[in-house]
Parts: sequence; structure tokens; C-alpha cells
Amino acid sequence: MSATISMTGSSTAPVTAAARAEGVSKFYGTGDATIAALKDVYVSLEAGMFTAIMGPSGSGKSTLLHMLAGLDRPTSGEVFLGDTQLTSLNDKALTLLRRDQIGFIFQSFNLLPTMSAAENIVLPIRIAGRKPDEVWVKSIVDKLGLADRLTHRPTELSGGQQQRVAAARALASRPQIVFADEPTGALDSAAGTELLGFLRKAVKELGQTVVMVTHDPTAASYADRVLFLADGHVVDEMFEPTADAVLDFMKHLGA
Amino acid sequence: MFTATLRGMLAHKVRLVLTVASIALGVAFLAGTLVLTDTMRLAFDQLFGKVSAGTDAVVRAEAAYSQSEGISTSRAPIPAGVLTQVRKADGVRTAEGSVSGYALLTDNAGRAVLTSGGAPTMGYSLPADPALRGDVKLLTGAAPSGAHQVAIDATSAEEHHIALGSTIKVLFNGPTQIFTVVGTVGFGGEKNLGGTTGAYFDSATAQQVLGAPGVFDSISVSAEPGVAPAELAQRINAVLPDGAEAVTGATVVKESADAVNEDLKFVTVLFMIFAGIALFVGSFIIWNTFTMTITQRSREIALLRAIGATRRQVNRSLIVEALLLGLLASGVGLGLGLLVAKGLNLLMDAVGFSLPSTSMQVEPRTIVVSLLVGTLVTVVAALVPAYRATKVLPVEALRDAVPGAGNPTKKRIIAGAVVTSFGLAGLFSTLYADLSMKLFGPSLLAIIVGVLMLLPAAARPLASLIGIPLRLRGMPGELARQNAMRNPRRTSSTAAALMVGLTLVVSMGVFASSLKASFGDVIGDSINADLFVTTSSAQAPGFSPEVIKVVKGVSGVSSVTASGWGEARFDGADSSYSAVDPATAADGLNLGVSAGSVAALGTSGVVVAQSAATSHGWKLGDVIQSEFAATGKHDLRIVGIYNGKGWIGDDFIISIAAQTAAAGQQLTSSGLVRLAPGADRSTVQQAITAALADHPDAKVLDRKGFEKEASGFIDKLLTFVTVMLLLAVLIALLGIVNTLVLSVFERTRELGLLRAVGMTRNQVRAMVRWEAVVISLIGALAGAALGIGLGLALSQALADEGIKAISIPGVQVTLYVVLAAVAGVLAAIGPARSAAKVDVLKAVVAD
Ligand SMILES: Nc1ncnc2c1ncn2[C@@H]1O[C@H](COP(=O)(O)OP(=O)(O)O)[C@@H](O)[C@H]1O
Ligand SMILES: [Mg+2]
Repeated sequence: MSATISMTGSSTAPVTAAARAEGVSKFYGTGDATIAALKDVYVSLEAGMFTAIMGPSGSGKSTLLHMLAGLDRPTSGEVFLGDTQLTSLNDKALTLLRRDQIGFIFQSFNLLPTMSAAENIVLPIRIAGRKPDEVWVKSIVDKLGLADRLTHRPTELSGGQQQRVAAARALASRPQIVFADEPTGALDSAAGTELLGFLRKAVKELGQTVVMVTHDPTAASYADRVLFLADGHVVDEMFEPTADAVLDFMKHLGA
Repeated sequence: MFTATLRGMLAHKVRLVLTVASIALGVAFLAGTLVLTDTMRLAFDQLFGKVSAGTDAVVRAEAAYSQSEGISTSRAPIPAGVLTQVRKADGVRTAEGSVSGYALLTDNAGRAVLTSGGAPTMGYSLPADPALRGDVKLLTGAAPSGAHQVAIDATSAEEHHIALGSTIKVLFNGPTQIFTVVGTVGFGGEKNLGGTTGAYFDSATAQQVLGAPGVFDSISVSAEPGVAPAELAQRINAVLPDGAEAVTGATVVKESADAVNEDLKFVTVLFMIFAGIALFVGSFIIWNTFTMTITQRSREIALLRAIGATRRQVNRSLIVEALLLGLLASGVGLGLGLLVAKGLNLLMDAVGFSLPSTSMQVEPRTIVVSLLVGTLVTVVAALVPAYRATKVLPVEALRDAVPGAGNPTKKRIIAGAVVTSFGLAGLFSTLYADLSMKLFGPSLLAIIVGVLMLLPAAARPLASLIGIPLRLRGMPGELARQNAMRNPRRTSSTAAALMVGLTLVVSMGVFASSLKASFGDVIGDSINADLFVTTSSAQAPGFSPEVIKVVKGVSGVSSVTASGWGEARFDGADSSYSAVDPATAADGLNLGVSAGSVAALGTSGVVVAQSAATSHGWKLGDVIQSEFAATGKHDLRIVGIYNGKGWIGDDFIISIAAQTAAAGQQLTSSGLVRLAPGADRSTVQQAITAALADHPDAKVLDRKGFEKEASGFIDKLLTFVTVMLLLAVLIALLGIVNTLVLSVFERTRELGLLRAVGMTRNQVRAMVRWEAVVISLIGALAGAALGIGLGLALSQALADEGIKAISIPGVQVTLYVVLAAVAGVLAAIGPARSAAKVDVLKAVVAD
């Protein structure tokens, strides 16, 4: 009803969806205090694409990301990763799916303080009890310029370096999809630019699917497509965005 | 600030319960000990009060020093003639001579009526005057009269179905005699006197069988109406000959009760030590809790400091928290103390020390001491963490650092090494360089304290080492290892509690094991015996000397070496002594006499141990003065010096004849039997058993049976001590739970992150579990190593007393270590569960 401008992936037809949300709603709290963070959201995120999710603070961006990434369960609706219906999985299956199919970059506290950068990068692979693909990992580490930081503990790394280690971890296990929630939120602009450049490259050169939540128009301009959220609804989208266009649209949303 | 403190404490219920429990258990032990002690004291006061309720004054021989012996005090006897003089004294209504001594009842079938826990079996003269009997009342039948009548305590009569009019044998220091049971005796509502058995005779018979004709142990006096006891005693004193004294009945009651309480002091001291250990271990947990919660709250504290709270204000609020916690824990502990007192009483009963019963005594002193000690320990344990917390500059704490990690300082390591070295040096000098043994205890303590100081430095390498096999368990194992290593101070103080408990348990185990192993050696080295005659119950004081005569008469027996035991003063110092028969001593005993000979003992000789001779500078022919409670001073000439402590462990050996002369006829404690050439051991054993049918106070064992009985007794004691020490281990486990709970709380974000990137709940649980195992293994291995060391040192220190063999109970120690690991797994159940429940989003959503 209110989702008038809401677009589904079906409009951009034959490309396969890496992840989908179908009629997803998320409510927090009960009774009068109920907050609807997401209201009947339909999105489809195409494989091999860099998608940004934008919107004002509190619009439900993080909540949507958590649903799509199997970090939380929707109150109603269905979430798919590829062909797997996440909403029907139990905790263990969901955990294994996150471990093997999904990469994460959070805004902060991405790394275990007791482990070196190298150990953090292969953490999910080691949790799975597998051997990391050394060549692959090395190529990512080189792309991120982390080669001389591998033995450092997180506390010995700058914020930008920490986020790059997180990015390396996210890609190390060749996941289906990488989710990033405001990965540059705590970084200065130079470090942010570096990280965004890498994500862009990962999509372009490695064919990685990346979904990033951000409220920064410049960050969003690195994406192939931007989804706009407002008040728990997907209100619009934009392809091949520029920072100015995004900024304009955001102003329009705020008005 | 006070309400904030209170609210903060209530917010973390699990932590509150754990910390309260860790202190409360120690306090409970302390309170329980005090309650038990007071209860025991009252019980004995009542006991002696009952016996002498109607006695206003007692006349007895003056004693240079009095020595308690069960519930009677041995003094020189008083001539019967004094009784006539006393009766004539002004204010005396009536006076009677009184005699008491060893008397073992038998049932109608001739089986000994044994007491549990070594309570004395006694015989008494029953006063003719009912007032002088006090609360000792005939329940059935009549008072004994003449040489063949006895009245016995009602419990013995009932439990052993001894009917009035039936005949029983009664065993004494001297010959066994047969009596007709004419009455049963009760004690002011009780059917026995604190678990003892009693045989009552008329005065003349008591003199015959318990003492000697013509003398009394004392004279009991009843006053004429209107004459106060003190007045009475004074008037009697005026007419008494030299060497006799009159005291009030109340004085005697107090002396007896004091003497018994003195004897029981070891119980109090023993339990106090366990309570102290429990509190010590508990203080680690308080220390740890405060260190961790303060670190977790360091930002809050820094904020308080930043907005202007002074260091003292912050400090004070932390101390108030500790104070409240301490009070609460002590209160809970005090309540538990009553249960502990009951439990300890049962436990003592189970291992054979039974105490007379009365209602539980909770004195104000108990309440004050328990609350004070518990609160003090808590506050003191919280002081250092609180001080450290407030030392942090506001800016530092506001920065987002990994809380509380960091290695122990160099200073601390050096201090720990110095303390440990001093302890080791002290230990080795006392063991091998003849330094005073007084330094032994402090040296051990220094080693334990030193190791405790060094443990934080060792925690990281130890955790790393112990954790190596965990790597095989994949990432959860590896993370567990890293988590145990990341904060060495926390890991070490958690493990330290367990270490202390296990050190004590293991050292006791090693000591007991060496003791048992030495037993075989002692028997092999210090005696030649084919068979052993011993008391029929382990705690009985001895058996009648008659037994030796009987055994000697059995065919196939070539010789019997009797030995007895007693206490006296030698050269001014209280000491125990052994008494042997000089004629047969050499047959059974390998005393290793280096100078002189045992055969030369006579009635005024003494053989002294080499160690005592060396330390006093005594040589053959020297005269030393001895003093016996019963007969006073005797000069003894040193006729031999012996080396072979073992079977006999006393510094002084006198002849049985000398003992009888100086202390009266005494019981024999053992007889070593040698067989005639060609005699068959088991045949002779059977023959001796048959011959002892009339002597239920003794039995005969072969070497195997004897060793088994002795090690059974050691095992019993070891079990008792271990059970006591397990309390400390239990508290240590609470500490592990506590640390894990706090660590899990502290690592919420990490756990969320791990869950987000793919760690399953099972893996999270395993991670916490393995961390607990690493921590408990650090404690267990350090404790086992230290315990083995201390146990060996203890055994070595007592090498002179006959602990010649050294034995480490490997299986037992391994079992303890394995159990500690298992306990770690159990301790981790709760924390692991809450770690697995951590919300994945906790890590993701920045606060
Ligand atoms: N765990 C939660 N409990 C209650 N309300 C929540 C919770 N998480 C998010 N919300 C609410 O849901 C709405 C959307 O939140 P979020 O997805 O974090 O927004 P965004 O990331 O766009 O800033 C907000 O109103 C927020 O307050
Ligand atoms: Mg957000």
C-alpha cells in the first residue's frame, strides 16, 4: 500500500539474485511500544553487483542487512540466499551458512583482539576446520596492502588497517556475498576511500557480490546500484549513482 | 553513591551468589568450629559437674605438676589414714575415699564392651553416701557391696544385654576378676557418661582392683549445712598433713574440664587451620572478582573521576561494596556454620572421635568473630584491586583498550623468585644442614607464597603448553588456549585457589603414602617379630599386662617382648617415654644401641635416643632428672644410647618395672612374639587367639594383618584430612565459575563476532569449556608439583621419627589432576551456556 515506489529485482530481469527479501517485516518490542523497523520489504540483490543501501538514520538499513545476512530473523516474510531459504534454517545451519557463504565487514569491532591480522583473516575458514587457500588469501592481502601488517595484533593497527583486515577476512573464504554495515563509518576519508576502492575492485575484478549499508553519498557512489530506505520501506533505487545525485535524492527524502 | 553501589551488586546476581559463597564457606567452617568447640566445652563441663555434684570439697595429694589422662588426673595416692583426720575436721558432714582407674567391661559371653572413638573405659568407687554420688544415680538394682559385686552404666547393660544378677568379667591393669552385676547407673538423665563405660565398686573393692590397698586417689567431702565449700576446704586444709591439699568440688570440676579441653585443643586447631585455608582460597576469588568488575567498570570509574569525583570517593564506594559483600557473606556463613558444626561432629564420630552430646552453643563471640573475620578478609582482598583501579588516570581509562591484560611486572617476578629461594634455602638447611626445625614451617610457607607470586609469570607459558593438545580440537580449542593466556594475572589467581587446595591434598597424600611405605621398613628394620599382640580396638589405651604372661605360656612361643608407654617430664620438659622389659627387649627390638645396653636399665636407668643425647650433650653415665605426676622426681642414669627409632619413637626408654614404681601399674601397648624354632606361625597364632579368649582387650595378628590395620588407620586419617581440604578445592571451583562468568560477560562482543562469522553454539561452548580445563589444569599441575615437593619435604623432615621410605602415590595424584580437569568441565557448564546464548547482533551493533 505505502510501498508505492518500491521496486523488486524482477524489474531488472534475467540476472540471478544472490539474495532476496520477500515481504520482510521486522518489529521490535510488544504492545504500544512496538517499533516497525521494516515493513513488508521486497528486495532482490543481483550477483556480481555492488549494491548500496542508503537512507536516513533509523530507516531500517542495518535491520535489513541483518535479515539478509542471516544474523537475525524477520518477524514475517522470507529471506533467500541464492536458492536457500534462510528463514527455514535452524541456528546451526544458519551459522554454517554464514561461515561458508557470507563475508562480513562491520562498522567496528571486526577483529578478535587476541589474534594477529593473519589469524583474523582466516578465522572463519579455521572455524570450519579447513585449510585456507594460501594463494587466494595472499592475492587479497596484496590487493589490500596488508602484507607487512600480517603479524600485528588489532590494537597495533590503525582503524583503516583494521577495516582492511576485516575486508580480507570477508573475502578469504570466497563467499557468495559480502555484507558491509557502514564499513567506513569510523574511518577518515582517505582510509575510507581506500577501502571503498577495494570493494569496488572486488566486484569488478573478482566478480564478488557486495552489499553495503551507508549513509554517506560519496560511499554510495562507488556502488552499481543504490537502494533508498525510509521509515522501514524501500522507497526508490538508482543505478550508476554519482555522489551528487545521491545527495540530491537524500535531500528530497529528508524534505 | 551508596544506593548506586547496592544496585550494582544486585544487578549481577550470579556474581553475587558466587562471591558470597566463596567467603561464606570459609566463614561457615570458622563458625562451625567455634560452635563445636563451645559445645564440646559445655558438654564436658556438664559431664564433670554431674559426677561431682554433691561433693563440696576434695582432698588429694599435692602435685608438682598434674597431667591429664582421659577424664581423670593422675596424682600420687593419698594414705587412707588421712580420711580419719578429714572426718574430724570442723564442718565435715561426711567424707569418703575415692578411687578410679582403668576397667574394661565384658558382656556375659566374655566379649569386651568397647567404646567408640577411644572414649575411656573406667572403674570407680561408688560412694556409700548418696549425696557424694552427685548425679551418679542407681537406675535399677542396688549399690555394689563386697569384693564380687559391680554396678555398671545403663548403656552398657542395655546395649550388651547384661542382666542384673548375671556375672561378667572385668579387666583391669592387674588380673581380670569376675563380678555379679547388681545395679545399673545413670547420670542425671543420661545413661552413660559421654560415651565412656563405667564399672562401680564399693570403696574397698575399688582399692583392690583399681588402685592399691590402704590408699585412695582422693577423698570426697560433703559439708554440714551452712558451711560454704571454700570455707570447708580451708578448714580441712588446716588439719591436713604435708603433701595433701583440700580444694572445692567446683575447682576439681573446672580442672578436669580444662584438662579435657586442653586435650581437645588439637581438634579446634585442626579445624581452624582448615577454616583458614578455606578463607585464604576464598580471598583469591574476591580479589579476582574485584579486579575484573573494576576493569569492566573502568570507563564508568574514569567518567566519575573525569566529572570530578575524587580518588578517595571512588575508593570509598568500592570499599563499601566489599564491606557489604563481606557482611552478607559472613552472615550467610554464620548460618551455615551451625550445619557445619553438626557435620563436623558427625564426621568426627565417623572417624572415631565421639564427643558427649549437648545442645549447640552459639556464643556472642562466635557471631562477632565470624562476621569480623569474613568481612575483613573480603575488604582486604578488595583493597589492592580498588587501589589499582583508582590509580588509573581518567584519560587512560576512557581510552578503549583491552581491559586488564598485561604481564606481571618484573619487580613482582623478582620478589617471587627471592621469596621462593629463601623458602627453598630454609627448607634444605633444616633438612640437611641441621638448622633448627623451627624454620621448617616458615620455609614451606615462603615457598607457597613465592610460588603464588611467580604463578602469574608462569601462567602464560603453562597455558600455552597445556593448551597444545587443544589445537587438535580446532579453532575452539585454539581460542580457549589463547583466552587462558591472554590475561595471565586473572588465569593465575583463578588457578592459584585450586593450586593451594591441591598442594595441601597432594602433600598429605604423599606424606601418608610415605608413612605407610615406611611402616613396612620400620617393621623390617626395627623389630624381629613373627606375631604381634595388640589392643583389640585401635584406639584403646592398651591391654592388661596379664596378656603377656598368657601369650608367653602358649607352646611354640619362644619370647614375647612387651612394651608400654607413658608421659613424664625429663630434664624439665614434658615428653612421652616407652617402657620395656630389659630381659626380653633385645629379643623383639632392634634398638641399634650404640653405647651401653638396654639390659642394664634396672629401675633407675634410662636409654635415650641418639638425637636427644646429641642435642642435650648427654653421655653414658649422666644422670637426668625425671618427674612423674604420680610419684614426683626420680633420678635416672643413662645406661644406653640408641639409634633405631622406628617401632619405638620416643627419646626415652625406661623399664616396665621403673614405670610401675613411678607411675603405678600401667597397661601394655604391644607384645612382639618370636616363635620357637620349627614352630608353625599360623598354628601358634591360632593357639594364642584361643589362649586370649579370656582377654578380649587384646588380639594377635601376623605381620600382614598388622600392617593392614596400621595403614587402615592412616587411610582413615588421610580421608578425614582430604575431605576437609576438599572444601578449599570446592571454593576454588566456584572461583573458576566466577572467572568464566565474568570473562564471558566481558567478551560479549567477541562472542557475538565469532558467532556472526560462523562459530556454532557447540563450538562456543567447547571454547569456554576448554578454557576452564586449561585454567584448572594449571592449578592442578602446579598444586600437584608443589604438593609432591612439600610432601617429600615433610616426610624427609620426619625421617628421624621413622619415616625412612619415600613414596609418591602416582595413581592418586594423577587421579586428582584428572578430577580437576573434569571439575573444570563442570565449572564451565553454566558460563558456557550463557556464552552460547550471546546474541549475534551484540557484536555488530555498536554501542
Ligand atoms: N534491537 C532493537 N530493539 C528495538 N528497536 C530497534 C532494535 N534495533 C533497531 N531498532 C529500531 O529499528 C529502527 C531501525 O533501526 P536500524 O535498522 O538500526 O536503522 P539504521 O541502520 O537505518 O540507522 C530504529 O527505529 C531503531 O531504533
Ligand atoms: Mg545502522
